Amino acid sequence: MNFTFHRKHISGILAVIPAHERSFVEEMKNFNFPESRSLKLKEVMGYDKHRLVEPGVCVSDLAVCGLEHLFKNGLLRREEFDALILVTQSPDHFMPPTSSIIQGRLNLKHDLFCLDINQGCAGFLIGLMQAFLLLEQESIRKVVLINADVLSRKTSPKDRNSYPLIGDAASITLVERDAEDSVIHANLKMDGTRHEVLMIPAGGLRLPSTPETALLEDVGDNNLRAKDHLRMDGSAVFNFVQVEVPPLIEDLLASAGASMDAVDYFICHQANRFMLQKLADKMKVPYAKMPSNVVTHFGNSSGVTIPMAITFNLADRLRTGHARVCLAGFGVGLTWSSMLMRLGGLSFCEMIDYP
Amino acid sequence: MNELLNKIAEILEEKSIAETDDLKSFAQWDSLSVLSVIAMLDANYGVNLRAADLESTGTVKDLWNLVQSKKGS
Repeated sequence: MNFTFHRKHISGILAVIPAHERSFVEEMKNFNFPESRSLKLKEVMGYDKHRLVEPGVCVSDLAVCGLEHLFKNGLLRREEFDALILVTQSPDHFMPPTSSIIQGRLNLKHDLFCLDINQGCAGFLIGLMQAFLLLEQESIRKVVLINADVLSRKTSPKDRNSYPLIGDAASITLVERDAEDSVIHANLKMDGTRHEVLMIPAGGLRLPSTPETALLEDVGDNNLRAKDHLRMDGSAVFNFVQVEVPPLIEDLLASAGASMDAVDYFICHQANRFMLQKLADKMKVPYAKMPSNVVTHFGNSSGVTIPMAITFNLADRLRTGHARVCLAGFGVGLTWSSMLMRLGGLSFCEMIDYP
Repeated sequence: MNELLNKIAEILEEKSIAETDDLKSFAQWDSLSVLSVIAMLDANYGVNLRAADLESTGTVKDLWNLVQSKKGS
């Protein structure tokens, strides 16, 4: 389905990444594969380093760190935003919402619309859509959109299928009304029949965590993971992206009346470098227009990778100038979504370490 | 067919392979090779196979036949 949003824009982006860095080479001895094959995987997929939280660090810790940084540096005033949206799949608790925990830890005002959304790789776009909708209300002047996940805590270190690419991070995006008569085009599709392609089987109420769900098992692919761990059908995800994303973006550009050449950057969810380069090949987009370096340097932090790709690659350009960008997120659900907007003039666009 | 043989040999890091060779008989046939073959078939033949399709494929000849049957479908 297609959407248009009028007179809304992103005015700042901050990424918060754990200072704790791990490397593929030091971790590959945990994998049950010959080193030569793991090194081949590293080369093909573009794995190198990733940022993981220390034990015990939660989503609200990263979010509070980022908001405090903005308050302290005068980049955001604590009373000037009226909604706080958190998109995460790794909340601090089942209940209450982690957005309420963040509100409480920072002693934010009571006139604040706090909302948790359970979404992943398309979560930056889903969060933006919610922010745009809230901004239709006069009482909502600015929205703080937080994307955050600490999925390394739910991934088996002995699972070469997932662990090397996972990263933890948070981003804080400030969304507000645009003085100019701007239009943002977006589209979205979902297919819940494929919900098992990316899943943490145990830990909810369908299959509560027990000592048994914590046992590592080999399902026949030499990887050891428990039912408490994230599991991903890598080749199914690959096929999903190559089949569904190019027509999604074509449709978006057609409905916006824009050509591929009119797009300065295609900022996609950073699944891994391999997947993005194949996507670029298929869409005939030069690699320079589609950054694919986030997993190599930081890991795949689910809904945070699009804001990270922006802060890591385009910060200088977007603080002073503007660019026409096409965003695309795809993954858990399955969910796939794209969005075309003019991005720039950002009052902040940077990355900080936690702690 | 020769093109497919060469591309699969490259993925499996073999000098050459025969159309009667069983894909699963190669030491390098693992999840990475499976993904590489899926990506290669998508890019070069416009065919999207799933890992399960490859699991049930025996020789390179069988794979060739599978690709031909899916082409343009």
